[in-house]
Amino acid sequence: MVAALWKKCQDRLEGELTAQQFNTWIRPLHVEERDGNLLLLAPNQFVLDRVKERFMDRIGELIFEINNGNLPDIQLKIGESTRKRTKQADNEKRGRLLHRDNQLPFRGNLNPDFTFASFVQGKSNQLAHAASQQVGENPGRAYNPLFIYGGVGLGKTHLMHAVGNLILKNKPDARVIYLHSERFVQDMVKALQHRTMDDFKRLYRSVDALLIDDIQFFAGKEQSQEEFFHTFNALLDGQQQVIMTCDRYPKEVKGLEERLKSRFGWGLTVAIEPPELETRVAILMQKAVHLQVSLPQDVAFFIAKRIRSNVRELEGALRRVVANSQFTGTPITLAFAKEALKDLIALQDKQVTIENIQKTVAEYYKIRVSDLHSKKRSRSVARPRQIAMYFSKELTSHSLPEIGEAFGGRDHTTILHGCRKVNELRVSDVRMEEDIHNLLRILTT
Amino acid sequence: MPCQLPLGIVLRDNATFSNYVPGQNEEVLHTVQQTLRSGGEQFVYLWGTAGNGKTHLLHAACHEVSIRGLSPVYLPLAQRHELAPQMLEGLEQLDLVCLDDIQCIAGDEAWEAALFHLYNRLRESGPPLLVAGDAITGALGLRLPDLVSRLSWGVVYHLQPLDDDAKRQALQLRARCRGVEMPEDVAAYLLRRSPRDLPALFELLDRLDYASLAAQRKLTIPFVRQFL
Repeated sequence: MVAALWKKCQDRLEGELTAQQFNTWIRPLHVEERDGNLLLLAPNQFVLDRVKERFMDRIGELIFEINNGNLPDIQLKIGESTRKRTKQADNEKRGRLLHRDNQLPFRGNLNPDFTFASFVQGKSNQLAHAASQQVGENPGRAYNPLFIYGGVGLGKTHLMHAVGNLILKNKPDARVIYLHSERFVQDMVKALQHRTMDDFKRLYRSVDALLIDDIQFFAGKEQSQEEFFHTFNALLDGQQQVIMTCDRYPKEVKGLEERLKSRFGWGLTVAIEPPELETRVAILMQKAVHLQVSLPQDVAFFIAKRIRSNVRELEGALRRVVANSQFTGTPITLAFAKEALKDLIALQDKQVTIENIQKTVAEYYKIRVSDLHSKKRSRSVARPRQIAMYFSKELTSHSLPEIGEAFGGRDHTTILHGCRKVNELRVSDVRMEEDIHNLLRILTT
Repeated sequence: MPCQLPLGIVLRDNATFSNYVPGQNEEVLHTVQQTLRSGGEQFVYLWGTAGNGKTHLLHAACHEVSIRGLSPVYLPLAQRHELAPQMLEGLEQLDLVCLDDIQCIAGDEAWEAALFHLYNRLRESGPPLLVAGDAITGALGLRLPDLVSRLSWGVVYHLQPLDDDAKRQALQLRARCRGVEMPEDVAAYLLRRSPRDLPALFELLDRLDYASLAAQRKLTIPFVRQFL
């Protein structure tokens, strides 16, 4: 009943608000029935405040009207839908039960896909890979803490999960927790709010291995650093494994306490460098196997040569080629990949102006820009003029009268005639087609 | 005789997939639709100049998700002064997150970090993320490399502008959605005489729509000529 009521109210609001307001403030609200009353759930305090301030009165009016003069109690709260909560609780419950029966390991957010088997080794990550493997085989004893650092998208997180997965493989009842440092901060804030710090401490200090990602995000958060420092010490004392990643060498992280920095260096600190060409190719080939597509080696080399910065971009490029090939039903070839990746290699939409077109075309045909504006009708000038008109129509959004104006005050029908002429000649005259092709390249890249 | 004032009711141009004219962007449309079903890409980044249909696609995606009874959200980052990074909290509980004009928060540390954390939470919990901007991920001017590399991880598409035929089609479709019939020759006439970017054409349609209601006349070339 409540759902139908809210649906009608939404329909009315959709007619009254702009698409933007509606999609930003109304659509994210989730409705539920509580004791015959209407409960609206907002994803966060910000949305809640704004809805209350700007839309609640109107929502009340509409509901009153739609519900024939009965106004149920309407509450606005922060929260997620019961549907999702139930799903989550079920998962947690199952996790706990199975854990007790030792049927399923405790999976503290580990991604089972990130294993050593799926990690592509190369010169750039050899040391980090070897150290991680030793830690995985011998947690708490080999190197503690293990500190992996390097730029974005080079595989730090992958290695960290691989260690966790290996620990679990060898000891299925091990408690391994992976989390991003931001999550640690948030959980701590929540624990402070709800006065559950003891539980918080107990949880993080009871693990066999704590994997904490991107510790540079601890910078400037003193209270979290303090808590992490104690957790860290407790774990090390108990010979429980700690693995951390960071985007730079620990000493270089600004806003991190000195005692933390020095302690992070107690175990082993290893770097991951950007992968070299062969490794990039191997990564692409492996990813293709994972996506179940056939990727010819020359295509892998082409992509790997073009995209050098990091593995994420490499994977993004491959995804794009695969999506393209699946959409068009075309097998992946070198020519196909070149075409598909054109956008990724161009950086920005180049703004083409009429002025620029005239200058480029005049230079190309070795005439003066003023000739394009003039009344001269000799072929050597008239043809380039028509070509410049053609590009002005195709590559800019100026109106045809504006384009006419820019060509010495010509009528818009002249522009249309010029464009038609160029289109005809492109079919009949090979040289013309070639010129158009060259000019297009100059103008758009 | 005084002209009749039309009622102050404006029909909204509901952006849906069915009133989107893809032109050369058919694959983009397909990928975005696929994203809203399970098994599609989770992260899609769309870029291109204004008027290429990015916002339309994001609104259409929200519409599509909500007719299935699910909850999406659309964030116009061009209006970031009315929003705050706190608005990204908890969005991973929703069923779709759309961020428009991401270039507007480039260089803003708090926003960039908040987006990065949202991305990580979405990756853990699963709902799709559609992001639109005016340049490719590396050229947006974002300071947080972690965010750039994550945006580049999904499928990235460059939206192509529509050609004149497709623009004519889009204009006629938009008119039809508003209950106005725009004959082919009128659409062609407008494209020959006015700026040819879609936002300008749609704005012109708004004014023509109002004027034709006020004058109680159909959209014909003589009427349009007089209006222009």
